[in-house]
Amino acid sequence: MSTDGTIHARGIRKSFGPKTVLKDINLDIASGEICCIIGPSGSGKSTVLRCINGLETVDSGVLKVNGENFGYYETDTAYHALSPKKLAEQRTKVGMVFQQFNLFPNMTAQENIMAGPVLVKGADKKESAKRAHELLASVGLSGFGDYYPAQLSGGQQQRVAIARSLAMDPEIMLFDEPTSALDPEKVGEVLMVMQDLAKKGMTMVVVTHEMGFAREVADSLIFMDDGYVVERGDAREVLRNPKEPRTQAFLEKVI
Amino acid sequence: MQQITIERSEPMSGKDSALKPRLKRRSTFEYVAWVVCSLIGIGILISVSTNPNFKWDVVAKYITHETIVRGLMLTIFLTFASMALGTLLGLGLAIMRGSSIKPIAATAGAYITIFRGTPVLVQLIFWFNVSALYPNLTIGIPFTDIGTAVDMNALMAPITAALVGLTLNEAAYMAEIIRGGFSSVGKGQIEAADSLGMSGAMKMRKVIIPQAMPSIIPATGNQVIGMFKGTSLVSVLGVAELLQSAQLIYARTYETIPLLIVASLWYLVMTLLLSYPQSKLEQKYSRATSRLPRKAKKVVLTDPEGIAR
Repeated sequence: MSTDGTIHARGIRKSFGPKTVLKDINLDIASGEICCIIGPSGSGKSTVLRCINGLETVDSGVLKVNGENFGYYETDTAYHALSPKKLAEQRTKVGMVFQQFNLFPNMTAQENIMAGPVLVKGADKKESAKRAHELLASVGLSGFGDYYPAQLSGGQQQRVAIARSLAMDPEIMLFDEPTSALDPEKVGEVLMVMQDLAKKGMTMVVVTHEMGFAREVADSLIFMDDGYVVERGDAREVLRNPKEPRTQAFLEKVI
Repeated sequence: MQQITIERSEPMSGKDSALKPRLKRRSTFEYVAWVVCSLIGIGILISVSTNPNFKWDVVAKYITHETIVRGLMLTIFLTFASMALGTLLGLGLAIMRGSSIKPIAATAGAYITIFRGTPVLVQLIFWFNVSALYPNLTIGIPFTDIGTAVDMNALMAPITAALVGLTLNEAAYMAEIIRGGFSSVGKGQIEAADSLGMSGAMKMRKVIIPQAMPSIIPATGNQVIGMFKGTSLVSVLGVAELLQSAQLIYARTYETIPLLIVASLWYLVMTLLLSYPQSKLEQKYSRATSRLPRKAKKVVLTDPEGIAR
Protein backbone atom coordinates (compact mmCIF):
# COMPACT_ATOMS: atom_id res chain seq x y z
CA MET A 1 0.00 0.00 0.00
CA SER A 2 1.36 3.31 -1.00
CA THR A 3 1.67 6.05 1.58
CA ASP A 4 3.31 8.86 -0.29
CA GLY A 5 1.43 11.88 1.00
CA THR A 6 0.14 13.08 -2.34
CA ILE A 7 -3.33 14.19 -3.36
CA HIS A 8 -4.52 14.03 -6.91
CA ALA A 9 -7.94 15.12 -8.13
CA ARG A 10 -9.38 15.27 -11.65
CA GLY A 11 -12.81 16.59 -12.53
CA ILE A 12 -14.33 16.18 -9.08
CA ARG A 13 -18.05 16.90 -8.92
CA LYS A 14 -20.18 16.93 -5.81
CA SER A 15 -23.81 17.94 -5.29
CA PHE A 16 -25.91 18.29 -2.19
CA GLY A 17 -29.40 17.72 -3.53
CA PRO A 18 -30.01 20.24 -6.30
CA LYS A 19 -27.01 22.35 -5.31
CA THR A 20 -23.75 21.54 -7.06
CA VAL A 21 -20.99 22.52 -4.67
CA LEU A 22 -17.96 21.22 -6.55
CA LYS A 23 -18.19 21.60 -10.31
CA ASP A 24 -14.83 20.64 -11.73
CA ILE A 25 -12.04 20.39 -9.22
CA ASN A 26 -8.55 19.56 -10.42
CA LEU A 27 -5.63 19.64 -8.08
CA ASP A 28 -2.30 18.01 -7.45
CA ILE A 29 -0.58 18.28 -4.13
CA ALA A 30 2.89 16.87 -3.82
CA SER A 31 4.35 15.08 -0.84
CA GLY A 32 5.41 17.57 1.83
CA GLU A 33 3.63 20.44 0.10
CA ILE A 34 1.87 23.04 2.19
CA CYS A 35 -1.21 24.13 0.28
CA CYS A 36 -3.63 26.81 1.40
CA ILE A 37 -7.12 26.96 -0.01
CA ILE A 38 -8.79 30.35 0.14
CA GLY A 39 -12.02 31.70 -1.22
CA PRO A 40 -15.38 33.16 -0.19
CA SER A 41 -17.88 31.22 1.94
CA GLY A 42 -19.81 28.68 -0.07
CA SER A 43 -17.08 28.35 -2.66
CA GLY A 44 -16.70 24.66 -1.80
CA LYS A 45 -13.29 24.83 -0.14
CA SER A 46 -14.38 22.97 2.98
CA THR A 47 -16.17 20.37 0.88
CA VAL A 48 -12.95 19.65 -1.04
CA LEU A 49 -11.22 19.00 2.26
CA ARG A 50 -14.03 16.82 3.55
CA CYS A 51 -13.91 14.74 0.37
CA ILE A 52 -10.19 14.13 0.82
CA ASN A 53 -10.93 12.73 4.27
CA GLY A 54 -14.01 10.77 3.20
CA LEU A 55 -16.44 12.77 5.34
CA GLU A 56 -18.20 13.39 2.03
CA THR A 57 -18.14 11.16 -1.02
CA VAL A 58 -17.54 12.66 -4.45
CA ASP A 59 -20.17 12.12 -7.16
CA SER A 60 -17.74 11.73 -10.03
CA GLY A 61 -14.14 12.31 -10.98
CA VAL A 62 -10.83 10.86 -9.90
CA LEU A 63 -9.68 11.28 -6.32
CA LYS A 64 -6.43 9.69 -5.30
CA VAL A 65 -5.06 10.22 -1.82
CA ASN A 66 -1.68 8.78 -0.89
CA GLY A 67 -1.56 7.39 -4.41
CA GLU A 68 -4.68 5.23 -4.12
CA ASN A 69 -8.32 5.72 -5.00
CA PHE A 70 -9.97 7.09 -1.91
CA GLY A 71 -12.97 5.25 -0.49
CA TYR A 72 -13.43 3.18 -3.65
CA TYR A 73 -11.67 0.53 -5.67
CA GLU A 74 -11.65 0.80 -9.43
CA THR A 75 -12.70 -1.86 -11.91
CA ASP A 76 -13.04 -1.65 -15.70
CA THR A 77 -16.57 -0.34 -15.43
CA ALA A 78 -17.03 1.44 -12.13
CA TYR A 79 -15.78 2.56 -8.74
CA HIS A 80 -16.96 0.27 -5.96
CA ALA A 81 -17.25 1.57 -2.41
CA LEU A 82 -14.69 0.08 -0.04
CA SER A 83 -15.68 -1.82 3.09
CA PRO A 84 -15.94 0.38 6.21
CA LYS A 85 -12.81 -1.30 7.52
CA LYS A 86 -10.75 -0.45 4.43
CA LEU A 87 -12.11 3.09 4.37
CA ALA A 88 -11.21 3.53 8.05
CA GLU A 89 -7.71 2.32 7.27
CA GLN A 90 -7.33 4.91 4.52
CA ARG A 91 -8.67 7.59 6.83
CA THR A 92 -6.12 6.89 9.52
CA LYS A 93 -3.50 8.15 7.06
CA VAL A 94 -5.28 11.47 6.66
CA GLY A 95 -5.58 13.63 9.76
CA MET A 96 -8.32 16.22 10.01
CA VAL A 97 -8.47 19.30 12.19
CA PHE A 98 -11.88 20.91 12.48
CA GLN A 99 -12.96 24.50 12.90
CA GLN A 100 -14.87 23.57 16.06
CA PHE A 101 -12.01 21.35 17.40
CA ASN A 102 -14.42 18.45 18.03
CA LEU A 103 -12.44 17.06 20.91
CA PHE A 104 -14.32 14.31 22.75
CA PRO A 105 -15.62 16.12 25.85
CA ASN A 106 -15.89 12.88 27.79
CA MET A 107 -12.16 12.24 27.57
CA THR A 108 -9.18 14.14 28.96
CA ALA A 109 -6.68 15.74 26.59
CA GLN A 110 -4.44 12.70 26.92
CA GLU A 111 -7.30 10.26 26.37
CA ASN A 112 -8.32 12.23 23.30
CA ILE A 113 -4.84 11.87 21.88
CA MET A 114 -4.68 8.18 22.81
CA ALA A 115 -8.13 7.41 21.39
CA GLY A 116 -6.94 6.87 17.83
CA PRO A 117 -3.86 4.73 18.48
CA VAL A 118 -5.40 2.66 21.30
CA LEU A 119 -8.98 2.22 20.12
CA VAL A 120 -8.42 2.08 16.38
CA LYS A 121 -4.92 0.75 15.90
CA GLY A 122 -4.88 -1.35 19.06
CA ALA A 123 -1.61 0.20 20.22
CA ASP A 124 -0.12 -0.48 23.62
CA LYS A 125 -1.58 1.84 26.28
CA LYS A 126 1.68 2.67 27.99
CA GLU A 127 3.47 3.42 24.72
CA SER A 128 0.53 5.57 23.59
CA ALA A 129 0.50 7.48 26.86
CA LYS A 130 4.19 8.22 26.44
CA ARG A 131 3.59 9.32 22.87
CA ALA A 132 0.68 11.48 24.02
CA HIS A 133 3.00 13.24 26.47
CA GLU A 134 5.49 13.93 23.69
CA LEU A 135 2.77 15.20 21.38
CA LEU A 136 1.34 17.46 24.09
CA ALA A 137 4.82 18.85 24.62
CA SER A 138 5.23 19.42 20.90
CA VAL A 139 2.09 21.57 20.82
CA GLY A 140 3.21 23.45 23.93
CA LEU A 141 0.81 21.80 26.35
CA SER A 142 3.03 19.72 28.64
CA GLY A 143 1.18 18.95 31.84
CA PHE A 144 -2.25 19.49 30.36
CA GLY A 145 -2.91 15.78 29.81
CA ASP A 146 -5.42 15.41 32.63
CA TYR A 147 -7.51 18.41 31.61
CA TYR A 148 -10.90 17.94 30.04
CA PRO A 149 -11.60 19.93 26.87
CA ALA A 150 -14.08 22.11 28.77
CA GLN A 151 -11.22 23.24 31.02
CA LEU A 152 -9.06 24.36 28.12
CA SER A 153 -9.21 27.55 26.08
CA GLY A 154 -10.13 27.39 22.41
CA GLY A 155 -6.51 27.70 21.33
CA GLN A 156 -5.45 24.95 23.71
CA GLN A 157 -8.28 22.70 22.54
CA GLN A 158 -7.29 23.18 18.93
CA ARG A 159 -3.69 22.31 19.73
CA VAL A 160 -4.86 19.14 21.49
CA ALA A 161 -6.96 18.38 18.40
CA ILE A 162 -3.87 18.74 16.22
CA ALA A 163 -1.96 16.42 18.56
CA ARG A 164 -4.85 13.93 18.39
CA SER A 165 -4.62 13.83 14.60
CA LEU A 166 -0.83 13.55 14.69
CA ALA A 167 -1.05 10.58 17.05
CA MET A 168 -2.31 8.50 14.13
CA ASP A 169 0.91 9.23 12.22
CA PRO A 170 -0.90 10.50 9.14
CA GLU A 171 0.81 11.22 5.83
CA ILE A 172 -1.46 14.17 5.19
CA MET A 173 -2.97 16.72 7.55
CA LEU A 174 -6.11 18.62 6.62
CA PHE A 175 -7.08 21.80 8.43
CA ASP A 176 -10.60 23.13 8.01
CA GLU A 177 -10.46 26.79 9.07
CA PRO A 178 -8.55 25.83 12.22
CA THR A 179 -8.41 29.35 13.63
CA SER A 180 -11.82 30.71 12.63
CA ALA A 181 -13.48 29.81 15.93
CA LEU A 182 -10.70 31.27 18.07
CA ASP A 183 -10.23 34.50 19.93
CA PRO A 184 -7.96 36.73 17.85
CA GLU A 185 -5.50 36.45 20.74
CA LYS A 186 -5.31 32.65 20.47
CA VAL A 187 -4.87 32.42 16.71
CA GLY A 188 -1.11 32.85 16.90
CA GLU A 189 -0.46 29.86 19.16
CA VAL A 190 -2.30 27.51 16.80
CA LEU A 191 -0.64 28.90 13.69
CA MET A 192 2.72 28.49 15.36
CA VAL A 193 2.08 24.80 15.95
CA MET A 194 1.03 24.44 12.32
CA GLN A 195 4.13 26.26 11.13
CA ASP A 196 6.22 23.91 13.22
CA LEU A 197 4.49 20.97 11.59
CA ALA A 198 5.08 22.39 8.12
CA LYS A 199 8.82 22.44 8.77
CA LYS A 200 8.73 18.70 9.48
CA GLY A 201 7.72 17.92 5.89
CA MET A 202 4.12 16.88 6.48
CA THR A 203 1.75 17.31 3.52
CA MET A 204 -0.73 19.92 4.67
CA VAL A 205 -3.89 21.28 3.11
CA VAL A 206 -5.21 24.29 4.98
CA VAL A 207 -8.51 26.00 4.34
CA THR A 208 -8.00 29.37 5.92
CA HIS A 209 -8.71 33.07 6.00
CA GLU A 210 -5.29 33.78 7.51
CA MET A 211 -3.52 35.41 4.57
CA GLY A 212 -0.47 36.00 6.72
CA PHE A 213 -0.10 32.26 7.31
CA ALA A 214 -0.61 31.58 3.61
CA ARG A 215 2.10 34.07 2.70
CA GLU A 216 4.64 32.91 5.24
CA VAL A 217 4.15 29.16 5.39
CA ALA A 218 2.34 27.92 2.30
CA ASP A 219 4.10 26.61 -0.80
CA SER A 220 1.07 26.79 -3.03
CA LEU A 221 -2.22 28.60 -2.92
CA ILE A 222 -5.56 27.65 -4.41
CA PHE A 223 -8.28 30.23 -4.85
CA MET A 224 -11.74 28.70 -5.16
CA ASP A 225 -15.00 30.30 -6.13
CA ASP A 226 -18.40 28.82 -6.89
CA GLY A 227 -17.21 25.21 -7.06
CA TYR A 228 -14.21 25.84 -9.31
CA VAL A 229 -10.51 26.26 -8.74
CA VAL A 230 -10.13 29.77 -10.16
CA GLU A 231 -6.44 30.16 -9.68
CA ARG A 232 -3.57 28.20 -8.29
CA GLY A 233 0.13 28.75 -8.05
CA ASP A 234 2.99 29.69 -5.83
CA ALA A 235 1.48 31.15 -2.66
CA ARG A 236 3.47 34.39 -2.52
CA GLU A 237 3.15 34.89 -6.26
CA VAL A 238 -0.64 34.53 -6.26
CA LEU A 239 -0.99 36.80 -3.25
CA ARG A 240 1.25 39.46 -4.79
CA ASN A 241 0.15 39.26 -8.43
CA PRO A 242 -3.20 37.51 -8.80
CA LYS A 243 -3.87 36.86 -12.48
CA GLU A 244 -7.59 36.25 -12.46
CA PRO A 245 -9.88 39.25 -11.91
CA ARG A 246 -11.99 37.24 -9.43
CA THR A 247 -8.92 36.50 -7.32
CA GLN A 248 -7.88 40.15 -7.49
CA ALA A 249 -11.31 41.28 -6.32
CA PHE A 250 -11.29 38.80 -3.42
CA LEU A 251 -7.77 39.59 -2.27
CA GLU A 252 -8.41 43.32 -2.42
CA LYS A 253 -11.21 42.88 0.10
CA VAL A 254 -9.46 40.58 2.54
CA ILE A 255 -5.97 42.03 2.69
CA MET B 1 -38.11 80.16 32.58
CA GLN B 2 -38.60 77.88 35.52
CA GLN B 3 -35.82 77.49 37.91
CA ILE B 4 -34.76 73.93 38.41
CA THR B 5 -33.57 73.10 41.84
CA ILE B 6 -31.88 69.90 42.58
CA GLU B 7 -32.90 68.52 45.92
CA ARG B 8 -30.31 66.82 47.92
CA SER B 9 -31.39 63.34 48.80
CA GLU B 10 -31.80 63.65 52.52
CA PRO B 11 -32.58 60.44 54.33
CA MET B 12 -36.25 60.42 55.24
CA SER B 13 -35.63 58.61 58.49
CA GLY B 14 -32.60 57.47 60.35
CA LYS B 15 -31.78 54.79 57.78
CA ASP B 16 -29.38 55.49 54.93
CA SER B 17 -31.29 55.54 51.64
CA ALA B 18 -28.67 53.40 49.98
CA LEU B 19 -29.10 50.62 52.52
CA LYS B 20 -32.90 50.38 52.62
CA PRO B 21 -34.22 46.98 51.54
CA ARG B 22 -36.28 46.77 48.37
CA LEU B 23 -39.57 45.05 49.07
CA LYS B 24 -41.53 42.85 46.70
CA ARG B 25 -44.94 44.10 45.70
CA ARG B 26 -47.77 41.96 47.03
CA SER B 27 -51.06 42.32 45.22
CA THR B 28 -54.47 42.03 46.80
CA PHE B 29 -54.93 38.90 44.72
CA GLU B 30 -52.02 37.29 46.52
CA TYR B 31 -53.60 37.91 49.95
CA VAL B 32 -56.96 36.62 48.73
CA ALA B 33 -55.27 33.52 47.30
CA TRP B 34 -53.58 32.80 50.64
CA VAL B 35 -56.88 33.01 52.50
CA VAL B 36 -58.97 31.02 50.00
CA CYS B 37 -56.43 28.22 49.48
CA SER B 38 -55.79 27.91 53.22
CA LEU B 39 -59.51 27.64 53.89
CA ILE B 40 -59.92 24.96 51.22
CA GLY B 41 -56.96 23.05 52.63
CA ILE B 42 -58.22 23.22 56.20
CA GLY B 43 -61.70 22.19 55.04
CA ILE B 44 -60.39 19.11 53.29
CA LEU B 45 -58.21 18.17 56.25
CA ILE B 46 -61.12 18.47 58.69
CA SER B 47 -63.37 16.47 56.40
CA VAL B 48 -60.83 13.73 55.85
CA SER B 49 -59.97 13.40 59.51
CA THR B 50 -63.51 13.52 60.88
CA ASN B 51 -65.32 11.44 58.24
CA PRO B 52 -65.49 7.99 59.89
CA ASN B 53 -65.87 6.30 56.50
CA PHE B 54 -62.16 6.84 55.83
CA LYS B 55 -61.51 4.40 58.67
CA TRP B 56 -57.98 5.57 59.42
CA ASP B 57 -57.65 2.82 62.03
CA VAL B 58 -58.11 0.26 59.22
CA VAL B 59 -55.52 2.11 57.13
CA ALA B 60 -53.08 1.95 60.05
CA LYS B 61 -53.82 -1.73 60.55
CA TYR B 62 -53.13 -2.70 56.94
CA ILE B 63 -50.31 -0.36 55.98
CA THR B 64 -47.68 -2.88 57.07
CA HIS B 65 -49.86 -5.95 56.63
CA GLU B 66 -47.95 -8.93 55.29
CA THR B 67 -50.02 -9.19 52.10
CA ILE B 68 -49.54 -5.50 51.35
CA VAL B 69 -45.77 -5.60 51.96
CA ARG B 70 -45.45 -8.67 49.77
CA GLY B 71 -47.42 -6.85 47.07
CA LEU B 72 -45.15 -3.85 47.43
CA MET B 73 -42.08 -6.05 46.99
CA LEU B 74 -43.54 -7.53 43.83
CA THR B 75 -44.30 -4.04 42.52
CA ILE B 76 -40.71 -2.99 43.17
CA PHE B 77 -39.43 -6.14 41.49
CA LEU B 78 -41.65 -5.62 38.44
CA THR B 79 -40.58 -1.97 38.18
CA PHE B 80 -36.87 -2.60 38.21
CA ALA B 81 -36.94 -5.85 36.23
CA SER B 82 -39.02 -4.42 33.40
CA MET B 83 -37.06 -1.15 33.43
CA ALA B 84 -33.74 -2.99 33.19
CA LEU B 85 -34.90 -5.31 30.43
CA GLY B 86 -36.79 -2.51 28.67
CA THR B 87 -33.74 -0.25 28.71
CA LEU B 88 -31.54 -2.96 27.19
CA LEU B 89 -34.08 -3.72 24.50
CA GLY B 90 -34.64 0.01 23.99
CA LEU B 91 -30.91 0.55 23.47
CA GLY B 92 -30.93 -2.13 20.80
CA LEU B 93 -33.96 -0.57 19.15
CA ALA B 94 -32.40 2.91 19.25
CA ILE B 95 -29.25 1.63 17.56
CA MET B 96 -31.35 -0.23 14.96
CA ARG B 97 -33.45 2.89 14.37
CA GLY B 98 -30.32 4.86 13.53
CA SER B 99 -28.97 2.20 11.18
CA SER B 100 -28.22 3.19 7.62
CA ILE B 101 -29.61 -0.17 6.50
CA LYS B 102 -33.24 0.60 5.66
CA PRO B 103 -35.00 -2.65 6.67
CA ILE B 104 -33.36 -2.60 10.11
CA ALA B 105 -34.31 1.01 10.76
CA ALA B 106 -37.84 0.36 9.49
CA THR B 107 -38.27 -2.69 11.72
CA ALA B 108 -37.33 -0.71 14.79
CA GLY B 109 -39.60 2.13 13.63
CA ALA B 110 -42.54 -0.25 13.22
CA TYR B 111 -41.95 -1.77 16.66
CA ILE B 112 -41.88 1.64 18.31
CA THR B 113 -45.00 2.78 16.46
CA ILE B 114 -46.99 -0.30 17.46
CA PHE B 115 -45.95 -0.42 21.09
CA ARG B 116 -46.32 3.31 21.69
CA GLY B 117 -49.53 3.50 19.72
CA THR B 118 -51.52 0.97 21.74
CA PRO B 119 -52.45 1.17 25.44
CA VAL B 120 -50.26 -0.75 27.89
CA LEU B 121 -53.37 -2.24 29.45
CA VAL B 122 -54.39 -3.74 26.10
CA GLN B 123 -50.86 -5.04 25.55
CA LEU B 124 -50.81 -6.69 28.97
CA ILE B 125 -54.09 -8.49 28.38
CA PHE B 126 -52.87 -9.43 24.91
CA TRP B 127 -49.71 -11.13 26.22
CA PHE B 128 -51.75 -12.87 28.89
CA ASN B 129 -53.96 -14.36 26.18
CA VAL B 130 -51.30 -14.93 23.56
CA SER B 131 -51.76 -18.71 23.89
CA ALA B 132 -54.97 -18.29 21.93
CA LEU B 133 -52.82 -17.26 18.96
CA TYR B 134 -49.90 -19.60 19.47
CA PRO B 135 -50.89 -22.51 21.70
CA ASN B 136 -47.41 -24.01 21.54
CA LEU B 137 -44.09 -22.28 21.44
CA THR B 138 -41.60 -24.49 19.63
CA ILE B 139 -37.95 -23.83 20.17
CA GLY B 140 -35.77 -25.63 17.70
CA ILE B 141 -33.80 -25.53 14.48
CA PRO B 142 -35.99 -24.68 11.48
CA PHE B 143 -36.66 -27.45 8.94
CA THR B 144 -35.44 -30.15 11.31
CA ASP B 145 -37.12 -32.26 13.96
CA ILE B 146 -34.80 -31.05 16.66
CA GLY B 147 -36.49 -28.87 19.23
CA THR B 148 -38.95 -28.80 22.07
CA ALA B 149 -42.45 -27.46 22.31
CA VAL B 150 -43.50 -25.40 25.32
CA ASP B 151 -47.11 -24.97 26.31
CA MET B 152 -47.74 -21.25 25.87
CA ASN B 153 -50.50 -21.26 28.46
CA ALA B 154 -48.13 -22.50 31.11
CA LEU B 155 -45.35 -20.17 30.00
CA MET B 156 -47.51 -17.06 30.03
CA ALA B 157 -48.35 -17.21 33.69
CA PRO B 158 -49.69 -13.88 34.93
CA ILE B 159 -46.36 -12.69 36.23
CA THR B 160 -44.52 -13.60 33.01
CA ALA B 161 -47.18 -11.88 30.95
CA ALA B 162 -46.84 -8.82 33.18
CA LEU B 163 -43.07 -8.74 32.82
CA VAL B 164 -43.19 -9.32 29.06
CA GLY B 165 -45.92 -6.71 28.54
CA LEU B 166 -44.27 -4.02 30.66
CA THR B 167 -40.81 -4.70 29.21
CA LEU B 168 -41.89 -4.62 25.57
CA ASN B 169 -43.86 -1.45 26.12
CA GLU B 170 -41.10 0.26 28.07
CA ALA B 171 -38.55 -0.69 25.39
CA ALA B 172 -40.43 1.42 22.85
CA TYR B 173 -40.35 4.48 25.11
CA MET B 174 -36.73 3.94 26.13
CA ALA B 175 -35.78 3.55 22.47
CA GLU B 176 -37.13 7.04 21.78
CA ILE B 177 -35.39 8.50 24.84
CA ILE B 178 -32.08 6.90 23.90
CA ARG B 179 -32.43 7.94 20.27
CA GLY B 180 -33.08 11.49 21.45
CA GLY B 181 -29.90 11.27 23.49
CA PHE B 182 -27.94 10.03 20.48
CA SER B 183 -29.15 12.90 18.35
CA SER B 184 -28.04 15.38 21.02
CA VAL B 185 -24.44 14.38 20.27
CA GLY B 186 -23.02 16.86 17.79
CA LYS B 187 -22.30 15.96 14.20
CA GLY B 188 -18.74 17.17 14.69
CA GLN B 189 -18.13 14.49 17.30
CA ILE B 190 -19.12 11.78 14.86
CA GLU B 191 -16.97 13.33 12.14
CA ALA B 192 -14.00 13.50 14.50
CA ALA B 193 -14.47 9.81 15.36
CA ASP B 194 -14.82 8.99 11.66
CA SER B 195 -11.70 10.90 10.74
CA LEU B 196 -9.75 8.85 13.29
CA GLY B 197 -11.04 5.73 11.54
CA MET B 198 -13.23 4.47 14.40
CA SER B 199 -15.60 1.63 13.57
CA GLY B 200 -19.35 2.03 14.08
CA ALA B 201 -19.40 0.02 17.31
CA MET B 202 -16.39 1.84 18.69
CA LYS B 203 -17.94 5.20 17.89
CA MET B 204 -21.12 4.15 19.67
CA ARG B 205 -19.33 2.87 22.76
CA LYS B 206 -16.65 5.50 23.23
CA VAL B 207 -18.08 8.66 21.73
CA ILE B 208 -21.86 8.62 21.31
CA ILE B 209 -23.15 6.74 24.36
CA PRO B 210 -20.97 8.51 26.96
CA GLN B 211 -22.05 11.88 25.59
CA ALA B 212 -25.71 10.92 25.27
CA MET B 213 -25.91 9.86 28.92
CA PRO B 214 -26.53 13.34 30.35
CA SER B 215 -29.78 13.57 28.44
CA ILE B 216 -30.76 9.90 28.75
CA ILE B 217 -30.29 9.39 32.50
CA PRO B 218 -32.71 12.01 33.86
CA ALA B 219 -35.39 10.93 31.39
CA THR B 220 -34.86 7.31 32.43
CA GLY B 221 -35.35 8.31 36.06
CA ASN B 222 -38.72 9.75 35.10
CA GLN B 223 -39.58 6.50 33.35
CA VAL B 224 -38.77 4.53 36.52
CA ILE B 225 -41.20 6.66 38.50
CA GLY B 226 -43.83 6.28 35.78
CA MET B 227 -43.23 2.54 35.62
CA PHE B 228 -43.66 2.23 39.37
CA LYS B 229 -47.19 3.56 39.12
CA GLY B 230 -47.75 1.81 35.82
CA THR B 231 -47.27 -1.61 37.38
CA SER B 232 -50.70 -1.18 39.02
CA LEU B 233 -52.13 -2.06 35.58
CA VAL B 234 -50.95 -5.66 35.88
CA SER B 235 -53.49 -6.14 38.67
CA VAL B 236 -55.96 -6.95 35.88
CA LEU B 237 -53.94 -10.09 35.18
CA GLY B 238 -54.33 -11.20 38.77
CA VAL B 239 -50.70 -10.54 39.63
CA ALA B 240 -50.60 -9.92 43.36
CA GLU B 241 -48.70 -6.66 43.23
CA LEU B 242 -49.49 -3.73 45.50
CA LEU B 243 -52.90 -2.77 44.10
CA GLN B 244 -54.04 -6.35 43.60
CA SER B 245 -52.97 -7.17 47.16
CA ALA B 246 -55.14 -4.35 48.44
CA GLN B 247 -58.00 -5.54 46.26
CA LEU B 248 -57.65 -9.09 47.57
CA ILE B 249 -58.08 -7.82 51.10
CA TYR B 250 -61.03 -5.51 50.47
CA ALA B 251 -62.81 -8.18 48.44
CA ARG B 252 -62.93 -10.09 51.71
CA THR B 253 -63.50 -7.29 54.21
CA TYR B 254 -65.36 -4.72 52.05
CA GLU B 255 -63.07 -1.99 53.42
CA THR B 256 -62.49 -0.65 49.90
CA ILE B 257 -61.56 2.97 50.57
CA PRO B 258 -59.15 2.37 53.46
CA LEU B 259 -57.26 -0.24 51.47
CA LEU B 260 -57.06 1.97 48.39
CA ILE B 261 -55.62 4.63 50.69
CA VAL B 262 -53.07 2.10 51.94
CA ALA B 263 -52.00 1.34 48.36
CA SER B 264 -51.97 5.04 47.43
CA LEU B 265 -49.83 5.93 50.43
CA TRP B 266 -47.26 3.33 49.41
CA TYR B 267 -47.23 4.55 45.81
CA LEU B 268 -46.79 8.09 47.09
CA VAL B 269 -43.99 7.18 49.49
CA MET B 270 -42.12 5.20 46.85
CA THR B 271 -42.55 7.92 44.24
CA LEU B 272 -41.18 10.51 46.65
CA LEU B 273 -38.26 8.23 47.53
CA LEU B 274 -37.48 7.80 43.84
CA SER B 275 -37.85 11.51 43.11
CA TYR B 276 -34.92 12.40 45.32
CA PRO B 277 -32.23 10.46 43.44
CA GLN B 278 -33.96 11.49 40.23
CA SER B 279 -33.58 15.20 41.00
CA LYS B 280 -29.96 14.60 42.07
CA LEU B 281 -29.29 12.86 38.76
CA GLU B 282 -30.93 15.69 36.89
CA GLN B 283 -28.72 18.23 38.63
CA LYS B 284 -25.62 16.17 38.02
CA TYR B 285 -26.27 15.79 34.34
CA SER B 286 -27.84 19.17 33.65
CA ARG B 287 -26.40 20.76 30.56
CA ALA B 288 -25.56 24.02 32.24
CA THR B 289 -23.12 22.64 34.78
CA SER B 290 -21.06 20.28 32.70
CA ARG B 291 -21.14 17.50 30.21
CA LEU B 292 -18.48 15.55 31.98
CA PRO B 293 -19.64 12.08 32.90
CA ARG B 294 -16.86 11.64 35.42
CA LYS B 295 -15.70 13.92 38.11
CA ALA B 296 -12.97 16.02 36.62
CA LYS B 297 -9.91 16.74 38.68
CA LYS B 298 -9.80 20.17 40.14
CA VAL B 299 -7.26 22.05 38.15
CA VAL B 300 -5.36 25.25 38.51
CA LEU B 301 -4.79 26.96 35.21
CA THR B 302 -1.23 27.98 34.58
CA ASP B 303 0.43 29.48 31.57
CA PRO B 304 1.30 26.94 28.92
CA GLU B 305 4.94 26.07 29.01
CA GLY B 306 6.43 27.76 25.99
CA ILE B 307 4.70 27.13 22.71
CA ALA B 308 6.60 24.82 20.41
CA ARG B 309 8.92 26.58 18.11
